[in-house]
Amino acid sequence: MPQLVLDKISIHYDGQAAPAVERVSIDVAKGDLVVLVGRSGCGKTSLLNVAAGLVTPARGSASVNGQPITGPGSDRAVVFQNDALFPWLTARENVAFSLRLRGVRPAERARRADALLDLVKLGGAGGKHIWELSGGMRQRVGLARALAAEPEFLLLDEPLGALDALTRERMQTTLLDLWTASQAGLLMVTHGIEEALVLATRIVVLAPGPGRVVRTFEPNFSRRYASGEAIRTIKADPAFAAARGDLTDAIFEGEAA
Amino acid sequence: MSISSYSERPGAGIDKTEGLSVPWSRPRPKRAGVSARAVSAVTILAVLAAWALSARLQLVSPVFLPSPAAVWSKFLSVAQNGFVDATLLQHVTASLARVFAALVAAILVGVPVGLAIGISTVGRGIFDPLLEFLRPIPPLAYLPLIIIWFGIGEPSKILVIAIAMLAPVALSTAAGVRGVSKERISAARSLGATRIQLVRHVILPSALPSILTGLRIALGAGWSTLVAAELVAATRGLGFMIQSAAQFLVTDVVVMGILVIAIIAFGLEFIIRRIERRLVPWAGRE
Repeated sequence: MPQLVLDKISIHYDGQAAPAVERVSIDVAKGDLVVLVGRSGCGKTSLLNVAAGLVTPARGSASVNGQPITGPGSDRAVVFQNDALFPWLTARENVAFSLRLRGVRPAERARRADALLDLVKLGGAGGKHIWELSGGMRQRVGLARALAAEPEFLLLDEPLGALDALTRERMQTTLLDLWTASQAGLLMVTHGIEEALVLATRIVVLAPGPGRVVRTFEPNFSRRYASGEAIRTIKADPAFAAARGDLTDAIFEGEAA
Repeated sequence: MSISSYSERPGAGIDKTEGLSVPWSRPRPKRAGVSARAVSAVTILAVLAAWALSARLQLVSPVFLPSPAAVWSKFLSVAQNGFVDATLLQHVTASLARVFAALVAAILVGVPVGLAIGISTVGRGIFDPLLEFLRPIPPLAYLPLIIIWFGIGEPSKILVIAIAMLAPVALSTAAGVRGVSKERISAARSLGATRIQLVRHVILPSALPSILTGLRIALGAGWSTLVAAELVAATRGLGFMIQSAAQFLVTDVVVMGILVIAIIAFGLEFIIRRIERRLVPWAGRE
């Protein structure tokens, strides 16, 4: 079983007295959708960056399938809040970027990129320039670009954070569809409480000063969506409201009201 | 990007007046058609009229200020019959060829140097002080040394212009490289880009708008170095033409040469802005 393991990770940034994160362990198996939530400064993005290989932890070990993580790699593609797309390339060329790096032939690249654009419901927009796309469309291109690398794990740093509420809601189901289709393990950082509940198979709640795990939830709403239940029915379920209350309490626990 | 200003480009969608953050300057719907362009046109016409008038009234001797008509007729005669053994077109071609040869040299050296400055600390340590030393020296100051080293031939002239162009090209490239967003680089690395692929596929294209701005500045710098470069042992070129004319007090050729230099500079600027719009249509729209 492929696994992404963060084991007792501590992160210490240069020039800062206190560690940003202390002894946090998280593991993501294939098919998991692990969501990190917590107040600002709890180190969620830092942990994601450790998994991505963009930040080296001060202590602890990070590994993917038993191999220590020493740098970024296409087995762990990252999607950022600001899509970080390449504006000199069309949507299709952006999606095909990793294929081009690997030397895949142009015709094959275009075919696979178009298939992925179809998957994120952007079929037909392949020839468009990045600046012609809306925020939601750009984030879809970013997702398709990450999926093109055929990663075992997909790391998402507030991927829907910059979108308006309605687009965001629609993107949540897109994400779930992609997760079901790709069967990759997803590790995602978000500020959205409802978003965490809708998407996660496991929610890790972090608290700041220094960043540490305070609670873990294992909601089943995303599995219910995957087995065919409508997203609105799920959100209207009293169990969803109860879970939202619990999660909110856990996030703000220990903080003066 | 510190040097460039894309707000001047019509495609950027930002109007200059709207760029002001003064709140009361903002709601300004079309006020009966006074455009900056019209004012500029009137200004130019007024200067021309003042020039024509002072020549007509003979306020100044034609040796100092020939009339516009005299300059125009000189333009026609030099274009047809030439001046100091070459037609105007031959002078222009000689000058443009030098400037473009210098531009190619400045790009070949300046872009890699700028990349090195932007990417590596060692590169910055090596090239930054050299460029900062070179940048403020006026071309006329190093011209004699270059002649001592490389003689009075064509290579010296090109070199003088190229040196003037080097700093803007290299520094703009470096600024562009340093301005590449961290997320963009992280994204590319997590998609499997190697270091070389990162430079080729992400850093260079990201820096391209800044590089082109550098080329625009460099062309301006090179073109204004032209006269200095053609001071020595040139037989053709606009700078040479002006100097020869000045020695014989043929003021109308001097004035005509100045105008031709100005018009060509304007044209070059126009062309490179066109190229920018074609090559980096995303600049300012991200």
